[in-house]
Amino acid sequence: MKLNNLLQLPLVLASLLGPTSVSCEHTSNWAVLVSTSRFWFNYRHLANVLSLYRTVKRLGIPDSQIILMLPDDMACNPRNAFPGTVYSNADRAVDLYGDNIEVDYRGYEVTVENFIRLLTDRVGEEMPRSKRLLTDDRSNILVYMTGHGGNEFLKFQDAEEISAFDLADAFEQMWEKKRYHELLFMIDTCQANTMYSKFYSPNIIATGSSEIDQSSYSHHADNDVGVAVIDRYTYYNLDFLETQVREPSSKMTLGDLFDSYDESKIHSHPGVRWDLFPGGEPGGRERLVMDFFGNVQNVEVDSAENATEWKEDILALGRKIAELRKRADEADAAAVEEKNTSTPEQMFVRDIPKKIRAAKVEVDNTWWGKKAIGAWALAGCSLVWLAGTYLEAP
Amino acid sequence: MSAKTEASEALEAEGSIVEDTATAKNQEVPANAVNVAPKKKEPPPESPASIRLRQYVIASFWAIIILVGLPIWWRTTAIYRAKLPLDQMMDWADGRACRPVFPLRISIEADALQDHEAQHLLRTTQHALDDLNEFSAHHLRLQLSQPANASVETTGLSAGAGDEEVALTIRLLPGTTTQADLQAYSPILDIQYTPNQVPSSSSSASSLANYIANTLRGLFAEEQAMIAYLLSTSSAPPERSPKALSPDVAESLARWTTRSLKYSRTYHLTFSLFTPAATPSSWDIEAALEEYMKPLLASFSEISNFTIDTQVQLYATPGVSGNVLKKEDLSGFINAAEWPLSPSIGGAPTVNFILYVGDMEVEGGGKSWLIPQWGGVVIQSDISDLRPAMLIFSNQLMSLLGAPEAGSLPLRLMTLVRVRSAGLLLKASGTMGSLARLTLALPSISIPRSVAEGVYTTIEHLRKACDGLGGKEGLENARIAEEAAEKAFFEKSMVGQVYFPDEHKVAVYLPLLGPVGVPLVMGIVKEFKAWRKRRRESR
Repeated sequence: MKLNNLLQLPLVLASLLGPTSVSCEHTSNWAVLVSTSRFWFNYRHLANVLSLYRTVKRLGIPDSQIILMLPDDMACNPRNAFPGTVYSNADRAVDLYGDNIEVDYRGYEVTVENFIRLLTDRVGEEMPRSKRLLTDDRSNILVYMTGHGGNEFLKFQDAEEISAFDLADAFEQMWEKKRYHELLFMIDTCQANTMYSKFYSPNIIATGSSEIDQSSYSHHADNDVGVAVIDRYTYYNLDFLETQVREPSSKMTLGDLFDSYDESKIHSHPGVRWDLFPGGEPGGRERLVMDFFGNVQNVEVDSAENATEWKEDILALGRKIAELRKRADEADAAAVEEKNTSTPEQMFVRDIPKKIRAAKVEVDNTWWGKKAIGAWALAGCSLVWLAGTYLEAP
Repeated sequence: MSAKTEASEALEAEGSIVEDTATAKNQEVPANAVNVAPKKKEPPPESPASIRLRQYVIASFWAIIILVGLPIWWRTTAIYRAKLPLDQMMDWADGRACRPVFPLRISIEADALQDHEAQHLLRTTQHALDDLNEFSAHHLRLQLSQPANASVETTGLSAGAGDEEVALTIRLLPGTTTQADLQAYSPILDIQYTPNQVPSSSSSASSLANYIANTLRGLFAEEQAMIAYLLSTSSAPPERSPKALSPDVAESLARWTTRSLKYSRTYHLTFSLFTPAATPSSWDIEAALEEYMKPLLASFSEISNFTIDTQVQLYATPGVSGNVLKKEDLSGFINAAEWPLSPSIGGAPTVNFILYVGDMEVEGGGKSWLIPQWGGVVIQSDISDLRPAMLIFSNQLMSLLGAPEAGSLPLRLMTLVRVRSAGLLLKASGTMGSLARLTLALPSISIPRSVAEGVYTTIEHLRKACDGLGGKEGLENARIAEEAAEKAFFEKSMVGQVYFPDEHKVAVYLPLLGPVGVPLVMGIVKEFKAWRKRRRESR
């Protein structure tokens, strides 16, 4: 019997690994959208991020699963000729700021440390859930970054920079703690492709706007706003997402998205890194755009025929529960009764001080101790003073 | 000897040059004066005392640097890394430290049988069970119940500590047909048998024993499969991998893990009513919750706690329109951009239940669906009676919490306790392994003492949980272990810019080392040269 089992083992493992890896789907989608530069002339970086924010929201990722980092407030900048709005196109058709935007990290909160803390979830208890990346091993994450960068670094707020090594280590920590299922990393900055060159964790697809020693350019300026409003690489990504991925049921793949890049239009050489992804390039190309930019969940529909059957089942459940509750109540009642009979007046007494306490500051039990220490300190000071005057006197 | 003569010659030569320049000064500057090396005037010879003093000064500078400066620099730039029991942590992660076993005690109550008959039946049934069972981690153990426990029916779910260990009680009742009947409110299985099935003490097998064994196996098959699946997806050594799960069972179990929420001590339930127009603007949710939801939640109390809130939203348009919804559109039904379904209430994960007022239906006629790890949706046109919706919600809640699908409620809950403790145990063990690997992989990350304490707490409770798997004690310990492990891994101070390129280090130290280092090094070099010269001269 034992031997038989052992012989079966390889078969067992094969049969187990086969179906699990196939049916291992993601159950939630998260997006981390980061702009790293402040000041008015970097208007386009915030517009990049806000356009992408609008797109992923349109495709179904709820606000609670989008982490938006904006280091500056362009809408309320005094130089903004259109106060309260941000546009990413000179036609000013869509106000990206709108009235339904949730910025999670703003202004000076956008730092390298906070970004790495967000990714690795090393945050204090005081951090609200809306500012945390609460992902698990079934979450697909889109990480989009834009700003000013260079060879293997990206500047944050003109004050500090994140290196490609830090980013790679952060992703490794995420992978080690099973904080993502698959991750799409997009970056639009100068020499962007160097930023993902150090990654070493599996299940990551990375893409960037420009090669080493290449700049990433802005697309066009709005003369009334007075600055460039969007970057080329982001513009053509959005162009694809807006025109080809119209609704959440779209079947466009990442391969389609990356094939749509036209280097003559983008003016730099966008790169894609497939080698970390299981299945390599062919496997990655087949991934749907909606796997990262949308929120596709495999719902389980309760069919109509089944309904009556398990409704009855649940009726029984309800009855059981009622029964259980009755019994529990009886037990409780018995317990209470027991308590009542043993210490009735105690319960009564306990209730009243509780009510008073709720409205009062905590009672200080060490009141006398504190008084004594204070008195001693005063006495000590005066003794020192007396000693000083005595010594000075002669 | 020769060196000395050379030196004296050099001195003489110098002397002659001095004279030359002196004469050159006396005469007007000759044309060849530029070629003559300018003569330096030697300082008066130093006294040995001042030489010694200078040596002391230099030595004391260096002594301060080496004895005070270096240790301070070392202390202040060193990263504190508490010692972690890496071997133990890896043992847990690889499943070497713990062999998860779930011994389930099943007590048999056979008042109608003679003692020796009962004993014999017990032995043969146990034998039959052992033959059927191929998965050693999940083991059913039979015992004869004590007469004192005969009144199990009155204890029910709220069984005292004494019979907490017993997973199921079998009551053998004489009857006319052979049939098994699982009681609905308590873990009791009534088995009726015909008198001729009672095994005689001579026979080694009996139909009744086989019948009991098969019934038990059927009852616990789902639980066994769940635990087997959990163990197989963890990194336990392969020889512990359970029997083969057939592909469709494996697939349904994969769906089960996809569907069920991660374990949490507290869940937050949000019940929302969304209406496309201004009416209805209220629903009788409180009474419905009181009637249908609260009792169910109360029975979950030893696994998880729940907090509840409700909301009504008028003029809510869903993400997809039409009277018949396609299945692939359903995930877009929730209008995430506009419907206020924020999970950031409190610290607990939120389970959403949505009642949408409308008369649309899904292809095939269904009117409700479950969104994995998120919640459920019910479409209902008339909300005067909330009972159907509540019943669907309670069923969806059971699935979302990961309860098995078959069996009576008490059995399902007890299975859930065991499955959850196994899951937590594996998760905490995995976290230990992640932390150990991370410690080795990132040598520049600091490890505060609290992390080490957390690791020791985790390992202690993991050990306890591993010993007490199968009961509520095990769940409690696994929960503590998992919490401590998460806290240790996500220690707040274990972050920082971990990577410093060498250029950065040079850039930081050069402004300090340049101005300070040059005089120090030059001082020692000059002194060394002077010392060598003196030695040569004295020889």
